[in-house]
Amino acid sequence: MKQFFLFIVKGLTVLLLTMILLDVFYTVVYRKTDNRNKISFLFNTKNQQYDVVFLGSSRVNNHFVPKIFNDQGYKTFNYGITRSRLEESALMLKLMIERNYKIKNLILQVDLNINTNDHSEAIRSLFMPYIHQSETIRQHYAAIPEYNKLLFIPFYRYMHYDSRVGFREMYASLVHKETNALYNDGFNALLKNQRPMIAADLSKYYPKRNKAYEEIKVICKKNKINLIAITTPMCMSTINRDYFNHINSVYPEIHRFENAVTEDKYFSTCGHMNKDGAIEFTKVVFNAFFKPKSKP
Amino acid sequence: MFFNSLQFAIFLPIVFLFYWFVGNKSKINQNYILILASYYFYSCWDWRFLFLLVFSTLLDYLSAIQIEKSDTQKSRKFWLWLCISINLGFLGVFKYYNFFADSFAELFQSFGFNTSPILLNVILPVGISFYTFHGLSYIIDIYYGRIKSEKNFVDYSLFVSYFPLLVAGPIERATHLLPQLKKRRKFNFEKAKEGIYQIIWGLVKKVVIADTCAVYANTIFDNYNSMNSLSLMLGAIYFAFQIYGDFSGYSDIALGTSKLFGIDLLKNFNFPYFSRDIAEFWRRWHISLTTWFRDYLYIPLGGSKGSKWMKIRNTFIIFLVSGFWHGASWTFIAWGLINALYFIPLLVLNRNRNNIDAFRLSFNLNSFQILSNILITFTITCLAWIFFRAKTINDAILYIKRMFTDLHFSEQYLSIERYNFELWSLLLIFILTEWNSRTKIEPISGKYSWLKVSLCMAAILALGVFSDYKEFIYFQF
Repeated sequence: MKQFFLFIVKGLTVLLLTMILLDVFYTVVYRKTDNRNKISFLFNTKNQQYDVVFLGSSRVNNHFVPKIFNDQGYKTFNYGITRSRLEESALMLKLMIERNYKIKNLILQVDLNINTNDHSEAIRSLFMPYIHQSETIRQHYAAIPEYNKLLFIPFYRYMHYDSRVGFREMYASLVHKETNALYNDGFNALLKNQRPMIAADLSKYYPKRNKAYEEIKVICKKNKINLIAITTPMCMSTINRDYFNHINSVYPEIHRFENAVTEDKYFSTCGHMNKDGAIEFTKVVFNAFFKPKSKP
Repeated sequence: MFFNSLQFAIFLPIVFLFYWFVGNKSKINQNYILILASYYFYSCWDWRFLFLLVFSTLLDYLSAIQIEKSDTQKSRKFWLWLCISINLGFLGVFKYYNFFADSFAELFQSFGFNTSPILLNVILPVGISFYTFHGLSYIIDIYYGRIKSEKNFVDYSLFVSYFPLLVAGPIERATHLLPQLKKRRKFNFEKAKEGIYQIIWGLVKKVVIADTCAVYANTIFDNYNSMNSLSLMLGAIYFAFQIYGDFSGYSDIALGTSKLFGIDLLKNFNFPYFSRDIAEFWRRWHISLTTWFRDYLYIPLGGSKGSKWMKIRNTFIIFLVSGFWHGASWTFIAWGLINALYFIPLLVLNRNRNNIDAFRLSFNLNSFQILSNILITFTITCLAWIFFRAKTINDAILYIKRMFTDLHFSEQYLSIERYNFELWSLLLIFILTEWNSRTKIEPISGKYSWLKVSLCMAAILALGVFSDYKEFIYFQF
């Protein structure tokens, strides 16, 4: 039996060592990668200076064309991430401050995402490789139930979020396989059009007070960032467009742009505009809040 | 409590310590500890079904004693059929009632009668097919006088509900397991070490192979309408490895766990995808069920004695029942039937026992033929698996039809944001590992075992699927 216990102790040691080695290896790989997604890019850059930064979900990622702003003399980047919620947007902003970014204006999408205070598990996972390196990330997630496991058990975070930061993503990072996430200053155009278009149904949606949004407001105030919270367009056949009318009853400061683009030809799906729609919409937003600094 | 859960990782060492340190003094103590652990293990799913398990155990135990006591053949027969009827009655109600009610309603509707069947809103007690078959084999063996009835209720209960085999087999025989439970087990380091290796390899099969394949197979089967021929072929292959990794992985963990308690269980898989014909496949796949059907159904029906038509009839019955055993669905029945159709030509030509001996490969024509036969057997097995995996027979037929008519063999980006072909290297490594260790129980033991353990652990940690947890497929049977 003694022999068996020694065997088990040996096995557990091998297991622990394997976990530590894998953890170190994965973390080093992710730390050296800045071309896979906007979070890795953000984590691996410092001291960026922006006139305008966009934050939000796919309704930012696919809707704002930084080139239109850049051409008018505003240094702009689209940090919108498909599937992210306001909780992740708040962390993105906090990370930008931690990485010493200087931001003058933040355009934040606040529309469908104030239907919930929930987070996005898929996007949360992308922050996990940096949890040991960033105090901001640690503080942001300190209250979540798995925090201690994620922080203290070697390799646990890569197992827990294996579909996003597991072997497959690590390997792609290791061989420097680029994605298109950072092309066009972060704007990802949708080129296919769903026809017939299926109407989005917002009948179960109602705006609520959102902790992350309120946190973003505080951060912006503290760091003298001009926060422009806006809604973004949805197709006219959306069920319960009245949802947008209720937004201002919760947050009156939110600028309404859901009707800025209305024609179906500008929509890829009911909730997402195509490239032409994004260009039209970005022009509308630019003209509403900015003036050209230089002529194109 | 699944074998690949944290709960089980805590449960197993606790039982192990109690078993060897508290109960070590006598066989009685050892069995008490195991039976308590087994009932706790079972109640983790649903404690209410514990009553069913205890009732089934008690029924078989008492019936066996009554059969042995009976003076007349009539009385022996009475107890046998009473026990069989009640056991199959439970199985029928819990597993098959809704299927029959639905099927009869559909049949009546096809004749123009409108009926709405009364369906039972019950969940299937986990492992019911396995422990029912356990009990049946025991009672039939008693009836035929192959064994003596077990008088010690604790020993018999442990035979039925021993936790490593309780929920998904292997389906044990009283002749094999009961004698082991009648003796005090002594700790054997080599056996325990082998058990640990087997558990680790079982986890590799489950977490790395089965669960990874499941991610791709599920996407392809769920969206077969939009898949090209290559994706559909790969989908069938991925499912073949999913079910093999899942079930044989489970069996490895069960056998390995049992070895930690000094008890050997029946081998359930013997590298079935290296079979040279379908008969050999069925001698290597889910061996404990196949031999159960052979001994308790096929042979009593006449087996391979009698005319060719009798043999064909018996083969069909065996495969149909085997399909039906897997679940109350026409897809399983179709899967059984297809396997019967594969088997019949071998039976008619008296070639069903051609490939019994072990083989070696070298650079010659014979080896090429063996490899071709293995490939053909695997291909037809994959085709049958499509019926097993599809939601309906119609889906399976459309899947196969599209596979042979689409004729596009390009890479395809799936909705899971992965390409259809991505698993080939993982499967190739797995196949080569299995091939190299096909004469052993697991590939870890032997030279450089610690290096192999490390590699397996790294594979489980790095390649395993943890975020999208998948139950063992055979738990539902």
